[in-house]
Amino acid sequence: MADLKKNDSPKPVELIDWLNDEGVLELDWDFPEDGNLIEAGLDSMAVMQLVVAVEDRFGVELGPSDLTRENLATPVTLAALIAARTS
Amino acid sequence: MRTPRESFDVAVVGGGSAGLAAAVTAAREGARVVLIDRHGSAGGMGTASLVHSFCGLYLLSDGPEAVLANPGFATEMAERMIAATGLGPVRMGRVDVLPQHPVEFARIADELISAESRLDARLHTEVVSVAPGDDWEIRTSGRGGSHSIIARALVDASGDAVVAEMLGMETERVDSPHLQRPAYVFGVRRNGELGEAERLETAGLILEGIRAGSVPAEAMGLNFRSSGREGEAFGTLDLSGGGNYDPLDGACLTRLETAGRATAAKVVVWLAGNSGLWKGAYVSHWPTRAGVRESRRWVGEVVLTGDDLLKGKRFEDEIALATWPMEFRENARGPKLRFPEGNRAAGIPLRCLKPKGIERLFVAGRCISTDHGAQASIRVMGTCFATGEAAGRAAAGA
Repeated sequence: MADLKKNDSPKPVELIDWLNDEGVLELDWDFPEDGNLIEAGLDSMAVMQLVVAVEDRFGVELGPSDLTRENLATPVTLAALIAARTS
Repeated sequence: MRTPRESFDVAVVGGGSAGLAAAVTAAREGARVVLIDRHGSAGGMGTASLVHSFCGLYLLSDGPEAVLANPGFATEMAERMIAATGLGPVRMGRVDVLPQHPVEFARIADELISAESRLDARLHTEVVSVAPGDDWEIRTSGRGGSHSIIARALVDASGDAVVAEMLGMETERVDSPHLQRPAYVFGVRRNGELGEAERLETAGLILEGIRAGSVPAEAMGLNFRSSGREGEAFGTLDLSGGGNYDPLDGACLTRLETAGRATAAKVVVWLAGNSGLWKGAYVSHWPTRAGVRESRRWVGEVVLTGDDLLKGKRFEDEIALATWPMEFRENARGPKLRFPEGNRAAGIPLRCLKPKGIERLFVAGRCISTDHGAQASIRVMGTCFATGEAAGRAAAGA
């Protein structure tokens, strides 16, 4: 399991484990960093879980304007979004 | 007082997706059938509770095409619904579902029932007791009073195993917190697109409303989907049901319905007031009842288990395939899906539809003999069509 602390900027590969552990998505162990999260099931329902989990773990509040297909596309873009809001 | 008596070959208790399939099938097999339902239309969860997808119709596969799993009534319903809505199956993550419209479902059910001269429906009617004998004696109740129905064979498609309770038979259920949480589905009038981008933004807006204290935390996970008709959408919310959620208790269900309406109304008012996406939106209709997913079930000659489903177990006496992943909605963290190894479908044996030690009685739908895990798969309407058809055929031949 990825050992992530509050206010750490996550690495994309750590996010994949973390999404599984949180039960937000069920991703294969070899899910690629640039794999499509939307196709893997990151729909509007899962996104709510994601936002709450991100807030718990990273202390970052994501708002409606953050929740775009571009930002949520892959573990890489999601990690970048969280990093950008971590300050 | 003497009550009027009518006599049939088969009586079906409950006119949801399973009961409808059972009654129509038994009539097509030549039996004289009565279908008893408490609502003003057949369709159950798919009409009264506004559940607007047929799940469990298609095989799990990585291929591009949605392939129907069960021939017969399930396939017929898929074809009729596609003809009515003009909408084909949709891939959602790893599963294929067929969008269905409750308005069309009720009308299709009327057509199916009317087409069978040997099938009588009794809507607005509750079954109050069942007595065994050479034939079953079923007492019903409606606003006009009490009636007695005699039937050679009986199908319990009540969803809640009410016949088992009336007969004092062994039943099975899990309690809160493992019991599946109920769905609360409501209709919304709104303008504009509701694609993935809008749905994601809406999820963020609802979370903002929760953070602002304007929307109850119970709105977590509320999900909107277009109904397929211009200007109309459905909202779906999983309710907690409270600490002692009991889907068979009227007082508990009252709290559930009230909480569903209150939460949905607050969400839609919040969205309409805080986002151009939802300007002018309003709740256009409530469900007749909250969508209970799981309650009491029968114990049959075989109990289908979650482990059977994960392994894709097959049976010599199987009457249908279970293809929907086990979908657990036990807590506020959203659905958890468990898929079988290699996407294999499992068989549902006829023995799951046959209560232990009782002749001429069959079960169909979500209360057939399974454990909690398998019920999380077989409860869906696509599978209920198939178990209903099998129960109807067995009852007609009994």
